[in-house]
This record gives sequence, C-alpha cells and structure tokens, in this order.
Amino acid sequence: MSDSLVAPPDRSKRRRFRGIADKLGILGIFIVSAMILMAVFAPWIAPYDPTERVGRPFQTPSAEHLLGTNDVGQDLLSELIFGARVSLTVGLVAALVAFIIGTTVGVLAGYYPKRIGTVLMRTVDVVLILPFLPLLIVLAAYLGRSLINTILVIGILIWAAPARVIRSQVLSLRSREYVLAAQTMGAPDRWAIWRHVLPRTALLATSTFVRAVSTAILLEAALSFLGLGDPIQKSWGSMLFWAQTRGAFLTPAWKWWVLPPGIMIMLASLGFAFIAFAVEERINPRL
Amino acid sequence: MRRAGLNRLGQYLIVFVVAVTLNFILPRLMPGNPLALIAGVDVGLLTPDQRAEIIEAAGLNEPLISQYFDYWKSILTGDLGFSYRSGRPISELIAERLPWTLLLAGGALVISAFFGIILGAISAWRRGKKLDLGLLSSMIALESLPSFWLGMLLISLFSVSWGLLPSFGAVTPASDLVGWDHVRDVIEHAILPVATLSVLSIPGVYLTMRYSMLEVLGEDFIRTARAKGASETRVLFGHVARNAMAPVVTFLAIRLAFAFGGAVIIETVFSYPGLGRLVFESVGGRDFPVMQAAFLVFTVAVLLANLAADFLYPLLDPRTRARNE
Repeated sequence: MSDSLVAPPDRSKRRRFRGIADKLGILGIFIVSAMILMAVFAPWIAPYDPTERVGRPFQTPSAEHLLGTNDVGQDLLSELIFGARVSLTVGLVAALVAFIIGTTVGVLAGYYPKRIGTVLMRTVDVVLILPFLPLLIVLAAYLGRSLINTILVIGILIWAAPARVIRSQVLSLRSREYVLAAQTMGAPDRWAIWRHVLPRTALLATSTFVRAVSTAILLEAALSFLGLGDPIQKSWGSMLFWAQTRGAFLTPAWKWWVLPPGIMIMLASLGFAFIAFAVEERINPRL
Repeated sequence: MRRAGLNRLGQYLIVFVVAVTLNFILPRLMPGNPLALIAGVDVGLLTPDQRAEIIEAAGLNEPLISQYFDYWKSILTGDLGFSYRSGRPISELIAERLPWTLLLAGGALVISAFFGIILGAISAWRRGKKLDLGLLSSMIALESLPSFWLGMLLISLFSVSWGLLPSFGAVTPASDLVGWDHVRDVIEHAILPVATLSVLSIPGVYLTMRYSMLEVLGEDFIRTARAKGASETRVLFGHVARNAMAPVVTFLAIRLAFAFGGAVIIETVFSYPGLGRLVFESVGGRDFPVMQAAFLVFTVAVLLANLAADFLYPLLDPRTRARNE
C-alpha cells in the first residue's frame, strides 16, 4: 500500500542480514550432510548392532560402551547412530508427501482461483485450524505403529501451510505478461503451468519442503516419545520414550541416555530450519 | 464486514463438522470389527447372542446414515459416551482434567506473551544490529527444541539433581493441604511444566511481534510522530508497539489452542493430570472413545480461540476500527 512512501531500507543492514542468513544456511548444510553420512554409514560407524544385547543392562559409560547400555543391555551409542536413519527417513519422506500434495494444491488453487481455488483453499483452512497434535495422535493410534504410518500421518497433516504459500506465488505469476501471452496464443493451461508457472515456483517450493523436513523430524520424535513410533526400528524419539518409561531421567543416567538423543533431534531439525531460513531470505528478504 | 464475519463463522462450522465426522468415520474405517473399537470389548470372548445384543445397543445394525445422525444427536446433547477403561462418563473425566490444562496453558500464555512481545519489540527496534541477529537466530534454534526433551532435562536438573521442585503430578499426593499451603503446592508443581511450555511458545510470539513491528515502523504516522519531536521511547511504546499489537493478540489467541495440543506432550513428561495426559493414557490403553472426545474438546477450544481473536482484532487495531465505522 504505502510501499512507495517507505524509506528505502538501509542497504548495509540488508547485506549484513543476508550475510548472517547465508552463514546459518551453510551451517545448516554442514549439519545435515553430517547427519546423512552418519545415517548412511551407520553399520560401519556404530560399534555394535543396536538390536543386539551386548552387555549388562543399565551400564554407565565405559571404554566398551561410550554411552552405556539401556534397560535391556543394548549399546546406547549404536542406537543413537542408527536412530539417524529413522529420523531422517521419516523427515524426508513425510516432507516429500507434504511437498507433493502442497505443491499440487497450491498450483491448482493459484492458477484457477475461482471455483477450484475457493474449494481447495477452504480445505487448506480447515486442515490448518484442526488441532494438529491431538489429530496426529488419534490418527497414529488408529493406524497402528509402523514407519509407513508415521510418514503418512505426518505427511497428510503438514501440507496445508506450504500449499498456501505456493498458491499466493502462483496467483501473482498467472497474471504476468508471458503467461497471458501464452494463453492468448492458445497454449493449453498445462503448457502454461509446466513452462512458466512451475519453474518460477520451484525455489519457493523447495524452501517449504526443507522447512517441512524440519517440522516432520520434530513430529516423528514427539510421536515416538508418546509410544506411537515403529516398535522395531528405534528412533531418537523412541530412545527417549524408553528413557522416560524406565525413569532414566530420574537417575544420573540422564546425562548419557536423555541428553544425546535430544541433541541429535534438535541438530537435525535445526540443520534443515537453517537451510530453509537462508533460502527464504534469498527469495523474499523481509528485514 | 458483516459478510466476512458470517463467512468466518461458516468456516468454523465446517471445521467442527469435519472433526465430528472424522470421529464418526475413523473407528468404522479400521480393518476388523468396529465393535471392538466402539463398544470396547474383546469380541472374541463373546457368544453370538451377546454380540448381537451389543450391536443392537450400540445401534451398529442400523444404516450408516442414521448412525451418523444419532452420533450428532449425542454430541450436541453433550453425551460423549463412556470410557472403556474406567467405565466412567467421558464428560466427567474431561471436566475433571480440563482445569489443570487451562492452568498450564494459561500460565504459559501469559509468560510467553510477556517475553515474546518485549524481545520482539526490542529486536525490531534494533533491526539488522547484532542484538537483533542474535535474538533471531536463537529463536530459530529454540523452535527446533523437542518439547518433551526440554521437560525431561528440567526434571533431571531442578527436581533430581538440585531437589528444588517436584517432578510429577499437580499436587503432593495424600498431603491434604488447605488454604495458602495448597496454593503454594499447586504453584510449585506447575512451575516446571509452565516453564517448558512457555519456552516453546516464546519464538512464535517473538517472530509475530518482530514482523508486525517492522511493518508498522515503515508507516507514515511513525515518521509524523518523529517529525513532531516525540521522544524515541514515546515513539516505540506509544506509537509502534501499540499499533503492532493487534496481530500479536490474534496470534496469542490461536497460540492458546496450540498450547492445548502441546499439553499432551508436556503433561506426559510431568505426569500432570490434565487433558493431555488423559489423551496419552487413552492411547496407551486403546481407549478410543476417550481419545476422540478429547480431540473434540481440543477442536472446540481452537475454534473458540479463533472466534475470540476475530472479535478482539478490530477492538485493538485502530486502523480497522476506523474502517468499520
């Protein structure tokens, strides 16, 4: 509205801001790469098989077991390393599900704002208002505990926010000259969407995807912590579930049983959040 | 404006219908016999006669559409059914648990609003400076903190290592404290869960306040205020912060509803006897009717919070108020 009247933002401030955002982004890439390497090479890095009982239960850290053992004598460090696989898989795949639904809905709602758009955005609003966490828990409890179900439940609940962001981008793209030109020359909508709209939405969609990964990792941890995770493949969240069930946080064991998985969850989620922040700052700097 | 208001109401109505319908459909969609999920009995142990009786009683032999209407009738008359773990009416269970959750969510709301608004205002005022950048990046980091983990750490430190505060429950069991001692006991038990919930809510409030402030800072009336010689403090609090508050209050109202959801996790960590803990217990005990009823209560809470926000917004924002008149 009053854009033209606003004093032009201070150049040096903006540059400094972007500098910080870029640094955080690089830090994010670094963290995420380290996590992915750890997940991929878990069998080589981990000292033991995390499902094997390799020692007495409730051991304190020692040279053999750097983080001690859990309530059934499994090596906690190995569990921690293998946990990266579950968290990253759920985070990435659930975000991919949300990305596909969100982009499809966003592009359709933006390109056809009248009827289809109204109906779709109504749906988006409903999904956004519904109490998120309780619904997540109810769905997960009904579907049962498995990796696929965790992914599905998270994916079908977090697509709405990306859809809204992408829609507003597409809405502004569809009235640009080149889209209008394509339409006037009789190009089908399919052409205009694939040729002109999607390529210019790709970066924004990517940033919403990265942000969704960060959210999904936290949600997976919360679900597993509530005992709704896959019972066979232990994630960081389920390590904490067992630490809670066995009361590890009421003993000195919290230092090696509770602290490390939480730090891993935080780092993983943070890594993606930093990347998303840096990308968002590039697309739409709002100092 | 009135039209927009009606539109909003219609939207909330749709959300409510969707929530109730989800509750109706979910147990009937699951593989296997819905009887086990709806009546809460081990179907295998029943004789065919008993089974028929339960089906009759639960109305499961009627056509789906009339079951659906019956379901609505019971929801609207406040009949939420019975818990099949304790056999007690669910509405009673919820009435018992709700005040505790309100205490946690309300306390966290006040604290996070206080810190979020002040930090957000300072950050926007010093935008691009070191303080702003530091605050902004630490808030992003805070958003990645798993809530339950923070709660567990607080218990390990404050309750176990230092023995300062109680680690579970809402009151000391079997202590029968009365009067002031009782209040103190309740507060002591609420400190850690409220602190956890607050820390998690601060980044949202902060980001909303900061962004809203930045928008207001670019407006003409701020320049006018400066031009007429108002002091910096007066501009910050009298003009900028005041005008930036409206979106923040909206956010807070909605945040209250989210704090409700977050309570499921926080109350589990602290074994706090609120609604969230009830959800956790019902998940563990496969007590589906209780779980669904709680979901419905959460939905209604969210809708009420949204309504309150819609109602408050024009009262707070001088600009929309002028437009309405």
